[in-house]
Amino acid sequence: MKESISVSPVTRIEGHLGVQIETDNGRITSARVVGEMFRGFEQILRGRDPLDAQQVTQRICGVCPVEHGIASVLAQDAAYGIAPPTNGRLARNLAQAVNFITSHITHFYLLSGLDFVDVAQVTTYGGSDPALVALRDWAKSELANNPVNAGGPFLPQFPAQLIRDPTLNLGILRHYLEAIEVRQVGHKLGATFLGKLPHAAALIPGGVTERVTAIKIVSARALLARLRTFIEQVYLPDVVAVAAAFPAYFELGRGCGGFLAYGVFPEGDDGGSPFLPSGVVVGDQLQPLDTAAIAEDVRYSWYSSASGRKPAQGETTPEPTKAGAYSWLKAPRYAGRPMEVGSLARVLVAYHDDRNPVVKPAVDGLLKATGRGLPDLVSVLGRHAARALEAKLLADRCADWIEQLVPDQPACRDFSIPASGSGIGLTEAARGALGHWLEIKDHKIANYQCVVPTTWNCSPRDDHDQPGPLEQALVGTPVADSKSPIEAARVIRSFDPCIACAVH
Amino acid sequence: MEPLNRRSFLTLSLRMAAVMGLGAHAAPAMAEALERIVRGRAPALWLQGQCCSGCSISLLNSEPLGPDQLLTRYIALAFHQTLSGATGHQAVETVNQAIEKGGYLLVVEGSVPAGMPRACMFGEETFPDQLARAARRAKAIIAVGSCATSGGIPAAEGNATGALSVPAFLDREGIKVPRISIPGCPAHPDWIVGTLVHVLQFGMPPLDALGRPRAFFTKLIHDQCPRFADYERENFATKFGDDGCMFRLGCAGPLTHADCNLRQWNGGTNTCIKAGAPCVGCAWDGFAAKRDFPFYLKNAQHRPDGGNPA
Repeated sequence: MKESISVSPVTRIEGHLGVQIETDNGRITSARVVGEMFRGFEQILRGRDPLDAQQVTQRICGVCPVEHGIASVLAQDAAYGIAPPTNGRLARNLAQAVNFITSHITHFYLLSGLDFVDVAQVTTYGGSDPALVALRDWAKSELANNPVNAGGPFLPQFPAQLIRDPTLNLGILRHYLEAIEVRQVGHKLGATFLGKLPHAAALIPGGVTERVTAIKIVSARALLARLRTFIEQVYLPDVVAVAAAFPAYFELGRGCGGFLAYGVFPEGDDGGSPFLPSGVVVGDQLQPLDTAAIAEDVRYSWYSSASGRKPAQGETTPEPTKAGAYSWLKAPRYAGRPMEVGSLARVLVAYHDDRNPVVKPAVDGLLKATGRGLPDLVSVLGRHAARALEAKLLADRCADWIEQLVPDQPACRDFSIPASGSGIGLTEAARGALGHWLEIKDHKIANYQCVVPTTWNCSPRDDHDQPGPLEQALVGTPVADSKSPIEAARVIRSFDPCIACAVH
Repeated sequence: MEPLNRRSFLTLSLRMAAVMGLGAHAAPAMAEALERIVRGRAPALWLQGQCCSGCSISLLNSEPLGPDQLLTRYIALAFHQTLSGATGHQAVETVNQAIEKGGYLLVVEGSVPAGMPRACMFGEETFPDQLARAARRAKAIIAVGSCATSGGIPAAEGNATGALSVPAFLDREGIKVPRISIPGCPAHPDWIVGTLVHVLQFGMPPLDALGRPRAFFTKLIHDQCPRFADYERENFATKFGDDGCMFRLGCAGPLTHADCNLRQWNGGTNTCIKAGAPCVGCAWDGFAAKRDFPFYLKNAQHRPDGGNPA
């Protein structure tokens, strides 16, 4: 029996996304992933002062503003022929890494958590933890007294098989509340160097305007310690526990089998030697990254601009009535292939690459602890595990970066803006490979194109009708109840979509 | 706490009033206050238009009242796209049920693509249609963040979607529900929480001519700036990272009403200016609007006005 299921809107992601699914005998046969919101940053940036770019582009996304800011200042650094001094590079690395950590914690608990955790079960809580007691009393009062939208926003959930064991279930619910506090700590650490979050004012070409002081170093150490404790004692164990409770999800959501990473967190003052390396993994094969292989198709995207353009020649002309199109996302392709980006991609690239000595042992350790093999990581649970693992590795590395900071040394260099020039900023956001392509003519931005992580992951079909990574990942997923497609939701959310980013 | 029937509720109120040394006449007010806690945190609905979710992320930074406490003690938030358990058709039904019941505080984040409605969709409905429906049934409407209050970056010069601020959209639709504007990019969590709680407990707060709560948006950034002495003594920064007043780098402090310099950001961690960054005017209603009014004056010699803005 064939059915059509519309999962629209997809909540607990960033932004406006719908997914149209076709099933046959309870299994997904095809999916269309629909980006549902457009603003048009690339047009808005045209004709503006180049130095506006890192402030404007941060507003592409309130979850990963730092990363957009960094991509933008990297493009400008290249265009202006400058590089930050050591303190500036370290401050950027710290703020960016801490934003990854904050984002991953937010994603596992606040965004994905309610796909696994049974909130209503808290009404049976018999313990004395004050936060759970308060939640229990709230839930009971809501369910008894609020006739409409009881327990909102956490309820309703799809009636689905959620975690039954109360200790595990309510434990994760308790950790959800703790995660709310811990992500605030992450933002404090970022704001220590960048002024405020979201949307950091102190990020500029040439470094950061904030100064490194001894008290900032001390504060950063203290805040990082809180993050590390949570990651090691709460976040990672919870991911392992959820994986153990839902083992089928090691077999679901495989995706397109190709992974792309641009490299991130430069360890060298020349901007090179990224802590997490660049590369492409297809199957088991690692290849070096070739950015000339990147292009964006728009056959199924609501744009009348040309298809197949490389970003440096990219255009973005919206056309919401275009026949045959179904998404505001363009379809980025690498040498004609769809590619998955994100923590899993970075971890797999680093695993196959010998340059980073910490990733492979950490991955092997996690696989051993869960009794899994490397291919199992290419899955819903593999993505969650990769994020948690990456959070730990980045938190550990942040400790080293803090120790490299030197008070009273400069954190930025002066620069002048050429009348014309160009630069490319390639970096990683929490959700994956992020690039900004900048062209300056007559002192103004002549062209600015962004290819953003979720653009890769949630892309529609390309000019050759190849579905995007999420569209492929959904195929084969069993859906037990078409009115409550929790299985599809779990696959979708495993990609950590951000649609404000993807469309921009 | 077991749910109470009306009779035992009123009995409880009388007893509490007595314990607190209040006369029996205080019981109804007490009952109303308890009612709020037990039965009905005020209903609220949060809708997102053309936004980056930054204001929601900022609200998640609320302290010492954490967002979970806001949601379980003060408001009954029927729906939020980033937090809600409901997915797909459940989310559509949840929002529609809330709209049908009416009487909620409607919080709107993001601008309205009035010139290209399909630039923002919720299920099968365009965001402008959904917003108009939800606004008509709201008790009050709070526009959160500069995109909602003045259009922000989506409404900047050259935008293709005809983005409007929420007040401009409501005016166009002839919707006269009381409204408040909380600008900022993002809005500070205190501005959001402080305004919500004021409305719930004490009614509409005093607002200025732009509909902004006077509590937060009366003083200029410039007038409360830690570098004001440098301004007075004409010690001007000439490049990023310098000490001194950043006016000549393009600081928008003289244009922007907001209490950032006192309230500070991220639980008192830092501010833009303390971090050596000129204010970009993110709470000013002209924020980012014009191509020819860049954030910084570093490129000033190439500006048409020769670096001397009017």
